[in-house]
Amino acid sequence: MSFTSVKNIPVEKRVLEALDKAHLVQPKLNAMVSFIDPKPQLENLKSKDKDLPFYGIPVALKDLVNMKDTITTGSSKILDNYVSPYDATIVVKLKEAGAIIIGKASCDTFGMGGTNKTAATGPVHNPYDLSRMSGGSSGGSAVLVASGVVPMAIGTDTGDSIRKPAAFCGIVGVKPTYGRISRYGIIPYASSLDHVGFFTSNVNDAAVSLEVLAGRDDLDMTSSFKPVEKYSSLLKGDLKGKRFGIITNVTNAIQNKNTTTQFNNLCEKLKAQGAIVSEITLNDDLMKAMLPTYYVIANAEATANHSNLDSLRFGVQLEGKDNEEVMIASRTAGFGPLLRKRFVIGSYALFTENQDLIFRKAQKVRRLIVEDVKKALSEVDCLIAPASSNGAPLIEDTQIDQLSSEYLVAENFMALGNFSGYPSMTLPFGFDGVLPLGVNLTCKPFEERLMLDLAKGIEDLTQLNDLICEVKP
Amino acid sequence: MEKHSKAYFINLAHQLRFDLTDKEAQDIVDEFSILIDQMNLLNTIDTTGVEPMVYPFEETTSFMREDLVDHVLSAQEALKNAPSSKNGFFITKKVVL
Repeated sequence: MSFTSVKNIPVEKRVLEALDKAHLVQPKLNAMVSFIDPKPQLENLKSKDKDLPFYGIPVALKDLVNMKDTITTGSSKILDNYVSPYDATIVVKLKEAGAIIIGKASCDTFGMGGTNKTAATGPVHNPYDLSRMSGGSSGGSAVLVASGVVPMAIGTDTGDSIRKPAAFCGIVGVKPTYGRISRYGIIPYASSLDHVGFFTSNVNDAAVSLEVLAGRDDLDMTSSFKPVEKYSSLLKGDLKGKRFGIITNVTNAIQNKNTTTQFNNLCEKLKAQGAIVSEITLNDDLMKAMLPTYYVIANAEATANHSNLDSLRFGVQLEGKDNEEVMIASRTAGFGPLLRKRFVIGSYALFTENQDLIFRKAQKVRRLIVEDVKKALSEVDCLIAPASSNGAPLIEDTQIDQLSSEYLVAENFMALGNFSGYPSMTLPFGFDGVLPLGVNLTCKPFEERLMLDLAKGIEDLTQLNDLICEVKP
Repeated sequence: MEKHSKAYFINLAHQLRFDLTDKEAQDIVDEFSILIDQMNLLNTIDTTGVEPMVYPFEETTSFMREDLVDHVLSAQEALKNAPSSKNGFFITKKVVL
């Protein structure tokens, strides 16, 4: 569902329809955690300029984004009762641009996961096949766009948490450069890897969204001073002379011939449009080390970030005879098993005796990985590869060989964009049966304009824009 | 990385102020062996002379701002999510016995 098609419907009608649809599909998709009454926002909208980019556009937020006086649980049990006392910067920006926020979308607890199975409210279902996962951690947001509830939803991406669910759900998912969009007011996971981004159903709407959300924010000291470009008006989709570098480490690791064939076909079409498509091989040892590097850094940073969840100052509090017992009881009940496991591993990496051996080692390997990517991107405009070997896995699927190249490389390579902070996005390029397949693009820092332009060129070739998978209640 | 027992991880979790069930501790023991294998991949990489990368970009984006009052939450707003509060303070269990 595009912004254009939504704008053909009167504002109040379109917002209420979105809210009704969100309620209607909830039993099947389980995508929402909480709903927001849009009436006060609709009232405020009456005094606003109708030409605003998001005027009357219904939007959903990932349940990590604070919006004043709304429940923000982080899809956790421990913050089940948490009412945001302020707006995140992106919420201010969305409201100023005329957006109407209709609810908070489910995610893996605190964004820590890639399946959306760890949400306190249960797994989110893929609209293309309800027995399959949405992907995560921003699964609820992805599913709401894919099923035509809203034309845009906010996500966050620490490893591939926007780009993987976008691939599984047949939509556009954008993770811009680190610092391009403010993170103020968003529950963190791992601060050196966290990015804010979004889902749309086409590239043009993605460009409009980035224009609205990007920009310096003094409340986020990592946000960039670089000026925001007019991404949407600069979109041409001209592929002639553009240099694409296929990441062969990824394509070689993919076992699904259907994915490989369709990706090869896409590359042939790119060449036919005048693009220069070459093969890039990144250091294979570094690629295989990517997942453990990510695991160590992300979990260590998460352990530190979430040590403030003591249930003494906020959060769900359980009984205990002293503060320590209160904390232990509340944190045990408030964190799921996966979260507890991650905190234990993160803490282990931060022990004084392990810091050099594990944590600093991972940070050093991170630098080598990023240098390798930087070198690769000095030869091409963009790195390209399928975002996943296959369509969305079954929710019950646990059969993963965690040391295989397919898992270590093909299923986890998009963390390159988080290690480096480089802009990266996914858009649909085909189907495996009924399940969408996504292609991933990664460009140099702050080259979102080029990245979106290349994506537009691909979208023009595939014609897989504005896909909606209607879910019958 | 060395192997550790269930008791080790249960104790570690306790230091982080949460409990693990016996099964969860066993899961961590099992997963740790995979992690050790994955960490071995990491240890095959020569990082001699490489500086740790803490953030993606190293150019300065932070600065000392003027010492002006800004973005204030009232005490009432700040305490709105407190499980227990009184007279502008959080109430906890007695700390000094």
